[in-house]
Amino acid sequence: MIRLEHIFKWYNIGGTRSFVLKDINLEIEQGDFISIMGPSGSGKSTLLNVIGLLDEPNEGHYYFMGEDVLALKPKKRTALFQSHMGYVFQSYHLIDELTVYENIETPLIYKNLSGKERKAIVGDMLDRFGIVGKKDLFPAQLSGGQQQIVGIARALAASPKLLLADEPTGNLNSKQGEEIMELFKQLNDEGMTIIQVTHSEKNAEYGKRVIDLLDGQVR
Amino acid sequence: MIKNYFKIAFRNLAKNRMFSMLNIIGLSFGLAGFMFIATYVFDELSYDRFHTKAERIVRLNAHIHMGESKLDMARTSDMMGPILRDEYTDVEDFVRLYTSAGAKLIKNGDRWIKEVRVAHTDSSFFDLFTYQALHGDLRRALTAPNTVVLTRSAAERYFNTTDVVGKTLETNDAGNTIYQITAVIDDMPRNGHFNYDFLFAMENASYESWGSLLSHNFTTYILLRNATDRSLLENHLEEYVHKHCLPAAKQFMDIASMEEFRTQGNVFYYDVTPIKDIHLRSNLMGELQPNGSLQYVYIFGAISLFILLIACVNFVNLSTARSASRAKDVGVHKLLGSSRGGVAGQFLTESLLLSFGGVMVAIGIVLLALPLFNELSGKAFKAYDLINVRSLPLIGFLTLFVGLVAGYYPAAYLSAFSPLQVIKSRSVIASGKSFFRSSLVVFQFAISITLIVGTFIITTQLQYIQHKKLGYERENILLISDYHALGNQAKTFRDEVLSIPGIKMGTVSGYLPVSSSSRNDNPYSKETVMSAHNSVSMQTWHVDEQYLPTFELELTAGRNFSSARIADSTAVILNQTAVNHFDFGSEKEAIGKKIHFQLGSNMRSFDVIGVVKDFNFDSLRDPVTPLGFFLGNHPVEAAFKIEAADLPALLTRIENSWNTLAPGYAFSYRFMDEAFDAMYRAERRMSRLSLAFAVLATGIACLGLFGLAAFMAEQRSKEIGVRKVLGSSVIGIVIMLCTDFIKLVLIALLIAVPIAWWGMSKWLEDFTYRIEVSWWIFALTGIISILIALLTVSTQAIRAARTNPVNSLRNE
Repeated sequence: MIRLEHIFKWYNIGGTRSFVLKDINLEIEQGDFISIMGPSGSGKSTLLNVIGLLDEPNEGHYYFMGEDVLALKPKKRTALFQSHMGYVFQSYHLIDELTVYENIETPLIYKNLSGKERKAIVGDMLDRFGIVGKKDLFPAQLSGGQQQIVGIARALAASPKLLLADEPTGNLNSKQGEEIMELFKQLNDEGMTIIQVTHSEKNAEYGKRVIDLLDGQVR
Repeated sequence: MIKNYFKIAFRNLAKNRMFSMLNIIGLSFGLAGFMFIATYVFDELSYDRFHTKAERIVRLNAHIHMGESKLDMARTSDMMGPILRDEYTDVEDFVRLYTSAGAKLIKNGDRWIKEVRVAHTDSSFFDLFTYQALHGDLRRALTAPNTVVLTRSAAERYFNTTDVVGKTLETNDAGNTIYQITAVIDDMPRNGHFNYDFLFAMENASYESWGSLLSHNFTTYILLRNATDRSLLENHLEEYVHKHCLPAAKQFMDIASMEEFRTQGNVFYYDVTPIKDIHLRSNLMGELQPNGSLQYVYIFGAISLFILLIACVNFVNLSTARSASRAKDVGVHKLLGSSRGGVAGQFLTESLLLSFGGVMVAIGIVLLALPLFNELSGKAFKAYDLINVRSLPLIGFLTLFVGLVAGYYPAAYLSAFSPLQVIKSRSVIASGKSFFRSSLVVFQFAISITLIVGTFIITTQLQYIQHKKLGYERENILLISDYHALGNQAKTFRDEVLSIPGIKMGTVSGYLPVSSSSRNDNPYSKETVMSAHNSVSMQTWHVDEQYLPTFELELTAGRNFSSARIADSTAVILNQTAVNHFDFGSEKEAIGKKIHFQLGSNMRSFDVIGVVKDFNFDSLRDPVTPLGFFLGNHPVEAAFKIEAADLPALLTRIENSWNTLAPGYAFSYRFMDEAFDAMYRAERRMSRLSLAFAVLATGIACLGLFGLAAFMAEQRSKEIGVRKVLGSSVIGIVIMLCTDFIKLVLIALLIAVPIAWWGMSKWLEDFTYRIEVSWWIFALTGIISILIALLTVSTQAIRAARTNPVNSLRNE
């Protein structure tokens, strides 16, 4: 599904190149559940962003479902991102002004789905994640764990093929974190490809494969 | 999608209440100011456009400059209109207005009422001008002598009904004249350059020089066959001067030809003003009403636009300052699939909502502040003049315009954030300082400071006028109007008033040292034969021997009139300027000299018996001109010098003796200093308006500054926390936060000072007697604006500086 070849990413600091990613080669199959691990500054998030099309490498090739992503025009890339990827953040990034229902609905609006279709999908999501009773609440009225569940529901509403999660449990306590991880595992069992960045060994164990980064290189 | 925009915008505005309030308040005041001024400007531009033939109507003006005398007047002789119509086919018709007699007394029951909105006019009046008839046939209304046309309000005042055709009105014309009412029209629109309640037949005008081609006492309008004939008409006017005026002038002046007359530096020609231009582009002698000024229309228009811009700038500044907190939303929306346009649409929706709120509040302010605005502008607008079917689309357009102008930059700026910025950093996008935002603040304050300087200078000039020694006494002088109503009882009345204790002195004359009183300009010469180069155009004032002592005018040479000397009836007292113009040498030498005046074929000579020190008998805008006092009877007004503790009782006694001696005539009086103040009404209006503008502009700019300071303090809370932990004092932090803003105000000051200095110097040039623009005005303005800015910013700064650093640092 994803193939990375010789991916380099660097910053020029005072004339010398400071590498964030150094010759990354990676293959990810459909249905995989990957945990990217490594100490702070090892390039975990940058790698996730490159995979998520939010950041561009300075060198290398990136094939997503056989397509050379880096050769695509920005508009095409955005379309690709929209239709195939869902993003989950450490700090949830829900829109404070919108209710749970509306937050989940937003990506569907941007996909230009009709009101009827949106209603069906959002209803389905609320049902699936057990948050029907909370649909009219605002993010500020929810606990961190609940907010993250909404964040995941929102990411999945547009039915992506790939779920990217940047420390999804980083702001949660251990019990809430466990719940989210259970949820991920369940999603993976249902066929969802997941890539997560995490600090925690325990969370990494939920995945099928661990990629260990150190100083921008796979160990 | 749109629904979603509105939903998010609404909740966003509700959440950031301070931001929304600051914006709506700022915008609404800016908009209210703009609406007022726009109404004022549109009104000024609409003058005389209601006449259906306005395109073809022009007014004739005369320009006669001889020696020192320069007459540019909106008047012609009575003959000019008829001659032009008879001799030139492109002149379709003419109409004259005769108003020189001023007021008329009209009998209502057994009281005589003084009516000032009166004029005599030709029967063609309603052919040229468009007025709505209520009763009667306008085309035939003024064809016969002793006829009058009334307006609705005049008819209601006298008869309590408008259906009064056939009834009569009694006036004091020629002793006593009864007019028959032949038609009633609706009140003349406010936006006309003349406005009368009574139009009398021209035949009844009490005019002595009918047929005199060189006496200019009529306002004449010409109806052209074609609007394009105007240049043709100018040729006719030149021909008219040669054919008619020159022969008439030769009768009493040593003048060979027009060419010779002109090569001697003299001017004599006629031109025209299109009727639609009269209100804003004409300011000649003998205008029927004080006209407006195109210059002020431009200035006010520009200022109101600037105030609106200041309000828009607030929005831009507050929105971009908040960008850090909005960046997250932008990033998330983009991650969820929104395009840049979609995000921009979201922000524009917000600014449109704010602008809509601003407009609604502005309409409320406009309705509440209408009386205040009328007082400031001297107009009489009603609510429906501002908010009506015609203005609603404009208001809608304004909402859109302001929303887009204010929202454009924030939308463009904020929508450009890339989602990565959100993911990477924890939304720490530097938005504390920005060159763009700083320039906008400088722009706002530069305008405010310019307006404050303007206000100061106008006020100082007014103070100067108020306190300048004018060379005559104007305190405690009581003026009694309509003195001619006393008829042959005038002397009795005077003696009676003078016998009242508290009245020190009194004089009877209509020629007073305020410009609203009588004026009479005539040519005099030192030699017995007058020519263009020895004539001195001089005010001819008929006064009694009490005039000089009553106004405490100072004689620098010679003596005052004396009733005991019969020869004083051919004596004259000159002012110093007149002595200079006649070239008599010193004031002492002037005594005993003669000056001559040609009246038709008669020549009259006068002995100079005294010289008075120059005094400002007209507005301080104008220099003192030659003036001569002649002993004579001019019972128009009387001036009494009073010195009484109990003014009401004194007035009652004077009124009682008036009522016995002039029964049926209203007793009307005013005080000299009121009449003096009336000369500077326009300046005082200017001063109040500029004050209002300055307060508005500064207030709105401060609202923005307040918001900016609040966000800045919030943004820098972490920095402030760190500094405090490192040992900075509260004062140190307050100074640090304020300095940034004060710097901006100082830059604004640097920009505004030259602009204000230039503009106000221009304004002051209108005054012959004026203050110097001195440095302290700018210094004071600088201090005031810095104080205002400090006051605005420091509350926020102090609050931020006093928060416990633990709170701000814990957030991480």
